[in-house]
Amino acid sequence: MHQTVTGKPPIFQAAQIVKIEKRHREYIYMALDSPYIALNALPGQFVMIKLPDADDLILPRPFDIVTADSAKGEIELVIKITGKGTHRLSHKKPGELLLLTGPLGRGITDFTGDSSIGLLVRGVGAAAVVLLANRAKEKGIKVVTFLSASTKERLVCREYLEPLSHTVFIATDDGTEGYRGNAWEMLDSFLDKTALDQIYTCGSRRFARHIKKLDSEGKTRGFVFLEGFMACGMGDCHGCAVKKAKEEGYFLVCQDGPVFPVGVVEIKS
Amino acid sequence: MSDLSVTIAGVRLPNPVMPASGTYDYSERHDNFFSPAELGAVVNKTIFLNHKPGNKPPRVYEAPCGMLNAIGIPTAGVKDFIENTLPLMRGYGVPVIVSIAGNTSEEFCKLAEIITETGKADMLELNLSCPNLNEGVEWARDKKLLYDIVKLISESTTLPVIAKLSPMVTDIAEMGLIAEEAGASALAVFNTYRGMVIDINTMKPVLGNIAGGLSGPAIHPLAVYSVYSTYKRVSIPIIGMGGIASWKDAVEFILAGATAVAVGMYNFVNPMIMIEVIEGMSRYLHEKGISNIRDIVGKAHR
Ligand SMILES: Cc1cc2nc3c(=O)[nH]c(=O)nc-3n(C[C@H](O)[C@H](O)[C@H](O)COP(=O)(O)OP(=O)(O)OC[C@H]3O[C@@H](n4cnc5c(N)ncnc54)[C@H](O)[C@@H]3O)c2cc1C
Ligand SMILES: Cc1cc2nc3c(=O)[nH]c(=O)nc-3n(C[C@H](O)[C@H](O)[C@H](O)COP(=O)(O)O)c2cc1C
Ligand code: FES
Repeated sequence: MHQTVTGKPPIFQAAQIVKIEKRHREYIYMALDSPYIALNALPGQFVMIKLPDADDLILPRPFDIVTADSAKGEIELVIKITGKGTHRLSHKKPGELLLLTGPLGRGITDFTGDSSIGLLVRGVGAAAVVLLANRAKEKGIKVVTFLSASTKERLVCREYLEPLSHTVFIATDDGTEGYRGNAWEMLDSFLDKTALDQIYTCGSRRFARHIKKLDSEGKTRGFVFLEGFMACGMGDCHGCAVKKAKEEGYFLVCQDGPVFPVGVVEIKS
Repeated sequence: MSDLSVTIAGVRLPNPVMPASGTYDYSERHDNFFSPAELGAVVNKTIFLNHKPGNKPPRVYEAPCGMLNAIGIPTAGVKDFIENTLPLMRGYGVPVIVSIAGNTSEEFCKLAEIITETGKADMLELNLSCPNLNEGVEWARDKKLLYDIVKLISESTTLPVIAKLSPMVTDIAEMGLIAEEAGASALAVFNTYRGMVIDINTMKPVLGNIAGGLSGPAIHPLAVYSVYSTYKRVSIPIIGMGGIASWKDAVEFILAGATAVAVGMYNFVNPMIMIEVIEGMSRYLHEKGISNIRDIVGKAHR
């Protein structure tokens, strides 16, 4: 079973940065104080972050909830520095405040009847599946992870995924770590021997198309985490549209996703 | 406590703050922020008569102090609206403004009639100015088109009609006057400016629709001046909008001549903004010793 729910309504708050650390120049690992989101976050959900007093960077930015520790009241995010907003975020210090809205998006709740899931992720796309791996493991489901990147330093969230996974297979394009080549080749040879009830993918359209193929061939049930330019993150602006595969019209990533059964959405080439 | 209530075309709004069409959805996602019952009025995203999917993505992109949107008004059509959205809007106990649009005057008129017949709307807002539809010139940019459509719809409904104007005209005050002469009971000033962003890496426009409407703080002074100059010419109430990001921005509109204000894109930035605007206005009036917000409408002219 794969079921997603809207979950608890989001809050909007000024959240304190508890911890912030830059790694490999390109990534920010950050912990935020947010008891409500830590308590209510579901796998697949995300938050929107806005820098206070920065109307030149006016729209909040969406980021996946990587971990949610309800005992500590903290959530962690892993952010790749790509543009203006993430660059400015990387200069923030512990104790500073960020405007935070969440949890947003539909969360994955039900794994009844499943005994194993696969995660095929690339780059910072790995951030999307950590909470899923965590909740699946808690339910006694076997998690098999295929983690990929262009090079070793871009293998993101490895330290989170290793303790949660039965096995982590690693692939890099340049061979600096693990298998040199496509991670889905490792997935395919794994599937030759062992079945996976569901496979979730994030961070690569090529991966998504591959999972779509496996899904349509009946080899597994595939799910994809999608991105889209967002303004509101909660269904108000109709900005984050993705095309439906089987009928006319669009889904909204923030309202209907961000995780979708891979067959129902169009994956652009 | 100062009196924040205002009247537009005989309809009393408990306060002058409402969402700008297309920027606020009536859903449980807002439960932790505030109830729409606290607003001056509720306004829906523009609907068309029949289902329409909207534009291809990307539909939104950030601009300096604002955003571009090319949503293209996806709509489930009037039947779905009457079944699912209108009862929800009616339930909040504040005036209901239904925003409508049409591809042709017949379609526009028919939609106005259907909404009027429900008996559940207090006013109709005619979106004459969406810059994202590629079917000819927007009604609000051509004097004759504007006059004819406002007249046709005003005559076919018993509801007060708000004409939503476009800033992309030579003289918006004159367009306001034309809408008034055609029978509009109020004006919404205004919709967005058309703009574009080009991705220098792909060398292509970012938005799926190529161009989109610019809104947000970037357009606020332009909108304030439009309200100011329109107020000089018309005698019907104006709903001011464009770039409200704080209660101060909203007060500027009132001083320029707006009877009420609408908050648009900033709802995406701060989901509490509309309540903060209402509270801020109330504090401002109290501190200035003004008992009634109506006393400062157009005050900047005097
Ligand atoms: C549901 C969801 C979850 C995400 N989770 C993560 C995550 O956990 N870690 C992470 O590093 N990134 C994540 N992203 C991508 C992240 O939101 C963008 O990298 C970020 O918004 C870039 O902001 P910027 O100001 O640095 O870039 P700029 O290019 O300067 O941003 C300009 C505008 O484009 C938008 N934008 C740019 N790239 C993207 C993108 N890839 N997706 C959506 N909007 C974009 C920005 O939000 C902003 O509005 C996620 C995106 C979505 C939709
Ligand atoms: C995402 C988005 C969608 C919009 N959709 C509509 C719409 O459906 N109908 C309409 O009349 N105006 C629409 N508008 C225009 C707003 O109602 C408003 O006139 C404009 O954005 C200026 O206000 P702002 O600067 O506060 O956003 C939309 C604006 C945005 C940003
Ligand atoms: S981001 Fe506004 S509807 Fe999804």
